[in-house]
Amino acid sequence: MLALPLHDLPTRSASGFLIRYVVPRTGPPQLVGPLDNKALFSNLAFGDVVIGVGHGEPNRFYGYRNQMLLDVSSIPDVRSKVVVLISCQTARQLGPALIKAGAESYIGFLEDLVWVMDADSAANPWADKFAGSAMMPVVHCVNTILDGKVMADAFAVMTTEMLGNAAVEEDDLIASCLRFNAKNASLLGNPMARVKARPKVAFPLPPPPLFPFMP
Amino acid sequence: MANAEWERLKEALRKPATPEAMAEAAQRFREYERVKRLSGKPGSKPTLVSLGFRKDYPTQIAVRDIPGELERNPAFFEQMRKIVGED
Repeated sequence: MLALPLHDLPTRSASGFLIRYVVPRTGPPQLVGPLDNKALFSNLAFGDVVIGVGHGEPNRFYGYRNQMLLDVSSIPDVRSKVVVLISCQTARQLGPALIKAGAESYIGFLEDLVWVMDADSAANPWADKFAGSAMMPVVHCVNTILDGKVMADAFAVMTTEMLGNAAVEEDDLIASCLRFNAKNASLLGNPMARVKARPKVAFPLPPPPLFPFMP
Repeated sequence: MANAEWERLKEALRKPATPEAMAEAAQRFREYERVKRLSGKPGSKPTLVSLGFRKDYPTQIAVRDIPGELERNPAFFEQMRKIVGED
């Protein structure tokens, strides 16, 4: 399951990179834009992996137009699944709650996930060079999971690449954001968990159409 | 790739969030921006974003507007301290 809202600049930026580089490797359900809503999220079978972009707080994760999708008090059936939440602070309470509810493994963040993006790239967010230094490590983390490798490897790919990008980044603000995200990334549950490998896709595919950006 | 302006901004962000410290941090960010000119790159609008929910600070703010927000919003000052001041 992929949950990819597109309703504001940060969700559009993060979801845009996953739409470009991850969605082609996955099957349905892919809840993109308005489809990323509570009714669909709650009623669909999850498969073996849940990858969600969205606004978050310690105990909740939100979808399109900030509909609440996950809450520590009402966790759906996540038994034996791996969960990646590209969101803020969910590693404090929601991540542990998911593991307690039976999720095999979880990757998320203890603090805000912060990055610099180009607001003029909202129509084709995957081409945003400012955001790429923060979002491509996330893409590579998710694709490592979809390669069938263990969560510990995926986590290491993400954090190592963030720190590597920070080391060569010319802009200090972008570099500080990268180090902040790497420092606050969190892997919970079984680090040796893995999911069924998906076929690799030769990139680049033609960019997909996106819902228009209506702030 | 730290420079002197950035180091001065970090020092300013490590102070308690008083109006004086917030004004100093804002000024340091303006000086940093004058040197780095991230917001002046043609054909782009660099924006600091996060996936936080219902924060007391904006989850999307143009880089050129950061000094003003630093000057008036203690919550944003604290957030920038976490990201930059403690880096």
